[in-house]
Amino acid sequence: MNSRIGFRTLVRREIVRFFSVLSQTIFPPLVSSFLYIFIFGLSLGARIEAVNGVPYLRYMIPGLVMMYVIEASYTNTSSSLFISRWANNIEELLVTPLSYFEMVLAILIGGLARSLVIALGVWGISLFFDRFAPHDPLLVFYFLIFVSLIFSSVGMMVALFAEEFEHLTVATTFVITPLVFLGGVFHSLSMIPEALRWVARYNPIFYMVDGMRYAMLGVSDIPAKTSAAVVLVFFAVLFSANVWLFKTGFKLRK
Amino acid sequence: MAPGEFFGFLGPNGAGKTTTINAVTGLANYQSGRVRVFGHDVTSDYRRSRAEIGLVPQEFNFDPFLSAEQILEFEGGYFGIPHRETKKRASELLEVFGLSEKRKDGYKRLSGGMKRRLLIARALMHNPRILILDEPTAGVDLELRHQLWDFLRRLNREGKTLFLTTHYIEEAEKLCTRVGVIHQGRMVGLDSTAKLIREISADRIVFYLKKEMTFLPEAAAGLGLRLEESGRRISFEEKAGLVPRVLKTLQALDQEVEKIDVEHPTLEDAFLKLTGKNESYIRPLMPSHLEMPEEK
Repeated sequence: MNSRIGFRTLVRREIVRFFSVLSQTIFPPLVSSFLYIFIFGLSLGARIEAVNGVPYLRYMIPGLVMMYVIEASYTNTSSSLFISRWANNIEELLVTPLSYFEMVLAILIGGLARSLVIALGVWGISLFFDRFAPHDPLLVFYFLIFVSLIFSSVGMMVALFAEEFEHLTVATTFVITPLVFLGGVFHSLSMIPEALRWVARYNPIFYMVDGMRYAMLGVSDIPAKTSAAVVLVFFAVLFSANVWLFKTGFKLRK
Repeated sequence: MAPGEFFGFLGPNGAGKTTTINAVTGLANYQSGRVRVFGHDVTSDYRRSRAEIGLVPQEFNFDPFLSAEQILEFEGGYFGIPHRETKKRASELLEVFGLSEKRKDGYKRLSGGMKRRLLIARALMHNPRILILDEPTAGVDLELRHQLWDFLRRLNREGKTLFLTTHYIEEAEKLCTRVGVIHQGRMVGLDSTAKLIREISADRIVFYLKKEMTFLPEAAAGLGLRLEESGRRISFEEKAGLVPRVLKTLQALDQEVEKIDVEHPTLEDAFLKLTGKNESYIRPLMPSHLEMPEEK
């Protein structure tokens, strides 16, 4: 048996899935990112002073890219896996000779593919308003890939624990969205009260946004190496946890 | 099971048939024992064991985002078959199962019979050594059932090992060379189909009476006779020397025998004996259940 073909097939299936519902998966974030940039960046941002020497519109773009990467990767894997559990076609996958490592990685790559499409789209839209060359393109890819894989992993875990569709949105509404907004998408640490600054340091999304901001603009609140390390550790832990859950058959096997 | 066998796995609802299949295919965890498929342990060597199996599940579990053709192509891909080859095999199997015209349709647009055929086609995509079928003919019409039987017989003749669970005992009797009966999670019978029928159930002798017999006298009941058809028929299991004794008893009761018949047992008789299913789960309705509520 050629296991690479099996792995590639599952990656393809994940990509076919989100491309088959473009109107739900790709267009909505592009439309709302346009509105964010237009209203917050261009209209309101013109009245806000430069942050760390960067005009507010430009300062906001890396955070916005990260926000949509997080949303796209989480939504992709959580809905893909949960629908598979719900429609029972997860069985189709579980009886194949793919290893659990391959199954998890292929599903995560599906989330990565969707979030890269979204990231490119948001970046493309931002070019209508502001054009600048990324400070460190390799680092941009590093954060794009690992943040996407982290939230794809989170999406998979939530999809495994969830019993109903509503549980997927509960995690978004009460955990991910607040952490995203408090994670510095629209602001720098210097713009918030001291107490909140302390809290932000325990918010993993802060490191992702700040790292991405450094990669794109060359400015950050904390050293980019710290952010890169935090991101890597989070990915390693969450990926291993997912492989373990698949291996034990948590909510997958009877 | 031996390679090349057509094995029937029978049991009442909830006996553990699907659970057994799930344990073999990796869809259920089990606490003790070992399961091996062609020598490969399904837990420690699950990749090899799963590559040998084609599973036709009881419920439809298709990917809702894919068309019939894509379902087959992706299945082939999961099992490591190159893309060009999966396209060829998918096309052939769609043809074999009469689904070519529906190749672009999602599974929800297929009829029940078509979905059943698609399940079998999907399980055959990687040409497995063993095909496990969990109630493959449930809910299909008579014509399709017979077509599927012919198809499965042909597969078995060509060397494919088949493992079948079914509610239609007749199906197992017609197709399977060996049968296992599971009841409350335990195997209560395991033998070749013919031997299982012969050893578990004897022939039944039937006497048709000229006169109606309203009840069985004590002497007759002691012989294990059963009064049937409003007292015009008496039947009993064949045992050495029993026929002359019954005839003598009937003579003493002034009964004449009009016709004698022998009923051969079926797999269904053996199944009912092994699983004790002669006892009904459904009790008669009480008179109070039949009363209509008065209108007020």
